[in-house]
Amino acid sequence: MSPIPLLRLAARSAWARRLTLGVTLVAIMLSTALLLCVERVRADARQSFTQSVSGVDLVVGARTGSVQLMLYAVFHAGAATNNVDWKSFEILSAHPAVEWALPLSLGDSHRGFAVLGTTPAYFERFSYGEHQSLKFRSGESFAKVFDAVVGSEVAAKLGYKVGDAITLSHGMGSANLLEHGDKPFQVVGILEVTGTPVDRTIHVGLEAITALHLDWVAGAPVKGLSIPQDFVSKFDLKPKEITAALIGLKRRSDVFRMQRFVNEFRGEPLLAVMPGVALDELWQTIGLVERTLFAVSVLVIIVGLAGLVATMLASLNERRRELAILRALGAGPGDIFIMLAAEGLLVTTLGAVLGAAMLAIVSTIFAPWLLEHLGVLLTPRLLSLSELYLFGGVIITGMLASLVPGWRAWRMSLADGLTPRT
Amino acid sequence: MRLLLSIIFIFVTLIGPSAIAAEPYKTATWESLVPKDWDPAKEFKSLNLGSLQDSDPRATEALSRMKDTWGNAPTERSLDGAKIKISGFAIPLEMKGDKVTEFLLVPYFGACIHTPPPPANQIIHVVSKKPVDNMRTMDAVTVSGTMGLNRAESPWGTSGYRLAVDKVEAYKLPEGK
Repeated sequence: MSPIPLLRLAARSAWARRLTLGVTLVAIMLSTALLLCVERVRADARQSFTQSVSGVDLVVGARTGSVQLMLYAVFHAGAATNNVDWKSFEILSAHPAVEWALPLSLGDSHRGFAVLGTTPAYFERFSYGEHQSLKFRSGESFAKVFDAVVGSEVAAKLGYKVGDAITLSHGMGSANLLEHGDKPFQVVGILEVTGTPVDRTIHVGLEAITALHLDWVAGAPVKGLSIPQDFVSKFDLKPKEITAALIGLKRRSDVFRMQRFVNEFRGEPLLAVMPGVALDELWQTIGLVERTLFAVSVLVIIVGLAGLVATMLASLNERRRELAILRALGAGPGDIFIMLAAEGLLVTTLGAVLGAAMLAIVSTIFAPWLLEHLGVLLTPRLLSLSELYLFGGVIITGMLASLVPGWRAWRMSLADGLTPRT
Repeated sequence: MRLLLSIIFIFVTLIGPSAIAAEPYKTATWESLVPKDWDPAKEFKSLNLGSLQDSDPRATEALSRMKDTWGNAPTERSLDGAKIKISGFAIPLEMKGDKVTEFLLVPYFGACIHTPPPPANQIIHVVSKKPVDNMRTMDAVTVSGTMGLNRAESPWGTSGYRLAVDKVEAYKLPEGK
């Protein structure tokens, strides 16, 4: 028999047994979606981590772990162990090997979004992805003490426009228990989407951070002591401390010597980390979890395909008559083999395609949630190259697995189904 | 005749590829990155180090000067524009997903952490147009590309090496070792 009618026959026969095969199909669909999902989250988590910072040679902060310093200075996750004296920052930024240095002051928040105190130079110097710099969607950089520039996601989530007034709160987190309510800020600029933590950050001047905490002398608001906004300018708003600094060098190959200079800094214990090395350290820690997740999802695929083989093998019994009639009508054992293998391939391919489609839909729906809660940006797409390999792997494994029932059907003798057992 | 042909065939397949595909990249050593006429000991010739006590302030001063001299090591000008191939350890600088686009190449393992950093002429800033897959900190690699001098005043020498690479491969031990 030529292959085309054979395949039609296989498809129709499969349709006649759609309930059992349908359940197998769902199992393959779910396991494919899981496997691809693990791969996608892994790839996208790396992507969003690595593209968060570019062109920065050293991240400097108080002495702590290198991964922790990276996490709070760049990703605004976790808390700083200590602050860095402003004088140390001035010495570092005046170092002849340093091209630029950006001070970062963290610790306050606004409705769950981190507030970053920095200088206007941040918008010119900071870059992400592959040396892309920040762009303003509307408005401009801050000029006055109580001006704020918000990231794209902050603006979108909270519906802010240039000119709106906002209130910052003390400490990180979304429960605004202690508000800096007496000193409202004005939104003067909104940044373009970057796909990095910048989108979830409110940028203010370093002076603003000092001004906010002028009356917080006792570690909590003191009754009766409140400095109205209009009087703030009468105080010395020069920052005394910062949380971390980003440093760019004139020549990247000087980085080891500069790192040594910072780590051996006499004034106070400081730590300088190279972002690439720290991220690599982070991957090595996370790598084990990634590999475990991957192994588990591969096992799930194997379970799904084993289910397929079991269903097909079981169906051979109920299809004895069907196959015997086909043989009696002139189908050779090879044709039967092809029919069975085609059925397996059909179910696997359909399951894998549905799984990929399901992932595409689910990841589009859950992308905002993931971004908000885990800071991982899922790029909406059908399949990436590495996912395509896995996808192909699933189909090939499914095809190989369905050779087993095919082989068994091939071995069944002609007379086998024609003589009913009693 | 057939025997002769097959001998020629074997000969060509064995010798051919290495002889025909001329290596455009000259294999460079880390020593060749130090200018030949540079003598870090020159300044200290007048000082008879053997006669100095450990606690002698002149010895301490000479040691710190020696460190500076070594740290400000000059680069070899003739390497500007040279196509070279060199092996070393990589430290990633810029990444794109899990691929590396820029890294530093240093001559010995642990060059950045356990010992004083290598001098300016022993660090190559490598920039790759094509992102490199599977690179971990301190992986041994062999890179081939075009060398350039990156002139920028810094306390550690006036120029550094910058290599635009065409190919990055995992380091393999030389044959016969």
